[in-house]
Amino acid sequence: MKCGSGIEARQVDELFINIDPIQAGGRLTADAMKAVVAYGDGYSVCDNCRKPNRLDYISKPPIAEFHKDVAKWLNMDAVRTVPGARRGFQAVAHTYVKKGDPVLLTSLSHYTEFLAVEEAGGVAREIPVGDNKLVTPDAAAEKIEAVKREFGRAPVLAFIDHIDYQYGNMHDVAGIAKVAHQYDIPVAYNGAYTVGILPVDGKAMGVDFVVGSGHKSMAAPAPSGILAATAEREKEVFRTTAIVGDVTNRKFGIKEPEMMGCTLMGATLVGMMASFPHVKERTKHFDRELANHQIVMDALLSIVGTKCLSEYPRKHTMTRINTIESFDKVAEIHKKRGYYLSSALEEHGITGVIPGATKVWKFNTYGTTKKQAEHLASAFVEIAKENGLSVKG
Amino acid sequence: MSKRAVDMTFQAIYTLTDLRALLRETAPTHEFDANQKAQAERLLENLERQMGSLKQEILK
Repeated sequence: MKCGSGIEARQVDELFINIDPIQAGGRLTADAMKAVVAYGDGYSVCDNCRKPNRLDYISKPPIAEFHKDVAKWLNMDAVRTVPGARRGFQAVAHTYVKKGDPVLLTSLSHYTEFLAVEEAGGVAREIPVGDNKLVTPDAAAEKIEAVKREFGRAPVLAFIDHIDYQYGNMHDVAGIAKVAHQYDIPVAYNGAYTVGILPVDGKAMGVDFVVGSGHKSMAAPAPSGILAATAEREKEVFRTTAIVGDVTNRKFGIKEPEMMGCTLMGATLVGMMASFPHVKERTKHFDRELANHQIVMDALLSIVGTKCLSEYPRKHTMTRINTIESFDKVAEIHKKRGYYLSSALEEHGITGVIPGATKVWKFNTYGTTKKQAEHLASAFVEIAKENGLSVKG
Repeated sequence: MSKRAVDMTFQAIYTLTDLRALLRETAPTHEFDANQKAQAERLLENLERQMGSLKQEILK
């Protein structure tokens, strides 16, 4: 079925259980789909834009209220919507980082944090992780001291991922923020895998910024996200324009340079807004998500040779798994080589595992029902047994 | 054409969207439990009513 010339209608999530690690939390709610239908036209949210002509002031649809609600929900003071978490990192980096400034990242930081630092002219310095793949406050303190020795000053900014994209491990952001603040380093919390997934309290963690991804974790269309700030930092990152044209003497009101004026002007924003009540509610039930994830983990770990590379017990539904001694052994002799696994999963109505991956791979069960989790669990075990692998229990 | 015809068009799309959500929730087998079956029946009845109203509005 086509939805445009040469464009196949995407039916992945209707036909399969999708365990793609980056797609699970961004699946739209029915309300978001409806909002996309109604607000798909370009500048659709601008119908009732009145002075002072800025996106976050529009009251119909209730965009202004949404901004306030999101700030309150995250226990922060101000929020702007951004075209993806990366644009939030970019705004923060551009505000605080000047050429040659050291910036604190971690060995598990997302690449877009690096790019944001690079674009601002900064120098990346990573907090190393321990063998357990966790970033600790002690390691942060050591790295800050090392940066001071190297640069003669502390880093000007720190980006800390609460859940990292590589292992889905949960890092002690509050502890790291406490250390960073002892050196007056503002902390940007990367909540791409948490905001919209599990409860997030910016003030409790003591961070200066909370960055979230709409399309990764808030059941919103791409590209969308949020950047939240404390009252102190709000004035800096959301400063208003001061530029004046020399010929026309034009000024640009209360537009914000870091936001490049208005940000999300249609289906992305209203989709995120429409999902928001559902998203708020679902974060209260993350325990159910972990319980469903455990059903799948138990099944995978019952396959002899399979190892969990992420911290265990799991604190998130995205997990990195090592199947070198299990599914990959089959790949060595299977006629489809490594592709047999994704192919077999597809036959069981499962998608999202990278085709060909049988050594180390990630999956995310977020949003699955218990029945779907059980389906996933039995499919992995069946595929293992069908291919001669030993299964415990 | 009337506002009602436009409303009914949107309503029908939204009803189908709710049905789509049900298909997602039950993928890949689409085996409905009793609640889901009742929900699907209600949605399909609504859709038929909406299509009927739409027909009346558009073809009158």
